Amino acid sequence: MSTGSSHRAPLAVFAVYGTLGFFVILALFPFLYMISLSLQTDADLFSGVPMLVPSVLQFSNYVAIWEKAPFARFILNSFIIAGGITALHLFFDPLVGYVFAKMEFPGKRAMFAALLSTLMLPFFIRMIPLYILTAKMGWLNTYQGLIMPFAMSAYGIFLMRQFIRPIPSDLLDAARLDGASEWRIYRSVVLPQLGAPMATLGLLTFVFQFNEFLWPLVVVSSVEMRPITTGLTLFNSEFFTQWNLTATGGVILFLPSLLLFVFMQRYFVRSVMMSGMK
Amino acid sequence: MRLLNSRKAREAGFAYIVLLPAIAYFLVYFFYPIGVELWASFFRGQPLIGQSEFAGFENYRQALMDPRVRAAFGRTIVFATLGTFCTLVPALFLAAILSGPIKAATTIRAIIFFPYIISFVIVALMWKSLLDPYTGMLNVLLSFLDLPTQNWLSTPSTALPTIIAITVWKDIGYAMLIYIAAIQGIPKELYEAAEVDGASPAQRFRRITIPLLMPTTLFLAVISMIAHLQDLSAPYLLTGGGPAEATRLYALHVYEVAFLELNIGYASALSFLMFIAILAITFVQFRFLNREVVY
Repeated sequence: MSTGSSHRAPLAVFAVYGTLGFFVILALFPFLYMISLSLQTDADLFSGVPMLVPSVLQFSNYVAIWEKAPFARFILNSFIIAGGITALHLFFDPLVGYVFAKMEFPGKRAMFAALLSTLMLPFFIRMIPLYILTAKMGWLNTYQGLIMPFAMSAYGIFLMRQFIRPIPSDLLDAARLDGASEWRIYRSVVLPQLGAPMATLGLLTFVFQFNEFLWPLVVVSSVEMRPITTGLTLFNSEFFTQWNLTATGGVILFLPSLLLFVFMQRYFVRSVMMSGMK
Repeated sequence: MRLLNSRKAREAGFAYIVLLPAIAYFLVYFFYPIGVELWASFFRGQPLIGQSEFAGFENYRQALMDPRVRAAFGRTIVFATLGTFCTLVPALFLAAILSGPIKAATTIRAIIFFPYIISFVIVALMWKSLLDPYTGMLNVLLSFLDLPTQNWLSTPSTALPTIIAITVWKDIGYAMLIYIAAIQGIPKELYEAAEVDGASPAQRFRRITIPLLMPTTLFLAVISMIAHLQDLSAPYLLTGGGPAEATRLYALHVYEVAFLELNIGYASALSFLMFIAILAITFVQFRFLNREVVY
């Protein structure tokens, strides 16, 4: 009967690769279509012929678009916001995770339980009071108003704690006997062992925040404070019928994510799988 | 003994210093907003920023009676359950296939995963251009083949299914990766033993893979439901809630009540009701999906 997977029937092999091919095309097609649109002329767009390869490559769309919206500023804003949040996470999450993994102090259990309970609070239900709080602090339409609500996460702290727990406590005690300060122990003994989980946390936080849409939509009122996500909606609503120009904006704005993904693809895939296993 | 005490004191001192900013952060950005939200939900008007008067449970009563709220809630349940189901089933099959001896498996899973890391703003843009009734590739292709064209996002009967399909398209790769990780954690001996006993690949998948992946399915189902229940980007960016309210999901309704109508008290009550619903649904999922797994 079945003699192992290396001797499968040709039909089964065909079915398997057919299925995979279908999903690969499905995943890629909208991106290819958008790139194609961004190079089309209005005539191509309205020709009524389905085309993925434009008759003429109109690169001028890529020039025209910069005059319609401050894309450079949008991209810069996205990097400042997502980068700032990621930096805060990478500073605080392992530090707090370390304290919960390795230290004993009164109130630890209660605090950890309270921390984990925040995982069950969807952002959506905190949004209205957060908006009012940010307004009262005078932080509407500012970078700190966009960054501070996401400075740490219970998820990140928990992830870090899971990876710090297996580090032998004897190692920390040995450093203590050598007279190292607690901060020094954390920095020189604990932190160097967290490479992979820190990269996981960093990548996921960055991408997630780079894509954040709701909070900037609520907090930002001026055009030049918009990150890519809300910047693009402004563009889309103003020029909604011109799909070739809109698609050009879309291509410019998914390029940073695409480049990040292409260069760190293996790491990305591994980090998501890692985050799900804990 | 004294050494031990001083060490403990030192540890606790360090712990509290580290925890201070964390405690401040979680109090200000998590616990305070929840408290305020609950408090505001008992006021009519604009508690916290303007005129308001105490209303007791009036906001809650009004919300539960409001046909628009009920319809939005029902739609959101359909969106979340269908969205979750249609993501997890193909993701599991893809994961099972890609865990086997497949050429270029790493590249294939990276490609299928890619849409997950793209902002929904761009995803919406791509699909709106593809589905555009006049110039979009899909309708152009359909008319080219003499098939009836469809105004996917502006027809009440197709708008919600289309939005579901687009969110499924985006999320499938994430679920797939998590499933692949879980499948890799299943002991190989189980499959080998089953093969010796003459179980077919389909039987092995049904009897070993699916049951052992129950904890993963629970994890994915819970996070996917929670995300879908509060999703606002999809209807906001794809249809704005239309046509004829067909895609007006709960979160979008709350957003408009809060930030366009500035009806803060009522919106707070609506948010809190959603919070209670999320907790209840998560609890039910744990009851039904959380069976002990014995290797």
